Amino acid sequence: MTPTSLDASTLRTSDAVAPDADAVDAALAASGDASAYERLYRRHVNRIHTLVCRMMGEDAEDVTQEVLIRAWQKMGTFRGEAAFGTWLHRLAVNVVLNRRSARGRWRKFFVEEPAGGLDHPARPLPPAAGVDFETAIAGLSPGARQVFVLHDVEGYRHQEIAGLLGISVGTSKSQLHYARMALRQTLG
Amino acid sequence: MTHPLQEQLSLYLDGELDPADSGRLEAHLADCPTCGALLTELRRVMGRAQALEDRPPRADLWPGVAAAIGVKPAPRRRFSLTVPQLLAAGVVLMVLSGGGVAGALHLRGGGLRSVAPGESRPAIERSVSATSEHGYEAAIRRLEAELLADRGQLDSMTVRVVEEKLRLIDRALLEAERALAADPANAYLTGHLTDTRMRKLDLLRQAIALSRAVS
Repeated sequence: MTPTSLDASTLRTSDAVAPDADAVDAALAASGDASAYERLYRRHVNRIHTLVCRMMGEDAEDVTQEVLIRAWQKMGTFRGEAAFGTWLHRLAVNVVLNRRSARGRWRKFFVEEPAGGLDHPARPLPPAAGVDFETAIAGLSPGARQVFVLHDVEGYRHQEIAGLLGISVGTSKSQLHYARMALRQTLG
Repeated sequence: MTHPLQEQLSLYLDGELDPADSGRLEAHLADCPTCGALLTELRRVMGRAQALEDRPPRADLWPGVAAAIGVKPAPRRRFSLTVPQLLAAGVVLMVLSGGGVAGALHLRGGGLRSVAPGESRPAIERSVSATSEHGYEAAIRRLEAELLADRGQLDSMTVRVVEEKLRLIDRALLEAERALAADPANAYLTGHLTDTRMRKLDLLRQAIALSRAVS
């Protein structure tokens, strides 16, 4: 007997809601049951909205809506191999990233962090102390923000992030460090 | 004192340093309060990231989603057929459907879905059993028997969810039937009873499909 797949993903998404209820409603939604899909929407919309906004660096309800429309259109491809929340989360990440027409456009968002130890003069790091942590994340450069949100908030690994963003693993690591260094200013 | 590269502190926190580098860094941290303080700050940033909470949209996005996927508000009083009229229609639809409720399950490639994404289940299929008293009861018995036979394929949590949903639907059915008995000509109650019966059929069908998909 193979138990119903309730994926124990490392991603933060999968523990947000009860996966058993999701499994039933996802099956119903895949057969065209809009009521079941609305229940899925209610359980996941806050999570997806937050993810999209953090990745975009701004309130992005239109993108959130786009994600949820695409999810309905793709329900037939959901096989229950991962938790519905994980599947939806990955779809959201892809929608956000696809908003950039070409991967090449991403590269310019990745700022170069100067090499060196603490003996090197530190460059000014935005944001200033006292800024709200969410606001500070939004204020990061797009590349550093994407890496930070995916790694430290959402639990992705550098290898996955590098693949998603079309960058090297080393760049992902350095961007993450840059983001953490910047955000530590907000801790007060 | 020569400090390590700052980035090594992040790599260390993420477990990305090899044992030799970790050892050197730990030895340095034991003697360097500056690097130790920075390490603590970076760790706090990571903790804050993990503690962030979700933020709901400013407005409910469902109306926009529903409009985009072609979902219309639930019909109310679209017709005013009496229960006997609905039963008669149900019998006709049962004949047209071939009486195969279980056959309505279309498993494709081991998946769970019945129809293509975005499609609605054909109206005739959704109407068949729910509008026929006899056909409905027969379909329910048949599906319940199938689910009972297949429930071993489902994990216990899923079984509990399905059973809880069935209990809720049965309670709603009982209330609707009682209300309709007191007001047989009430079209709203008739429609509500029909909808509730269809929900039960759908739930049973999908639970069976789920059990077969994982077997």
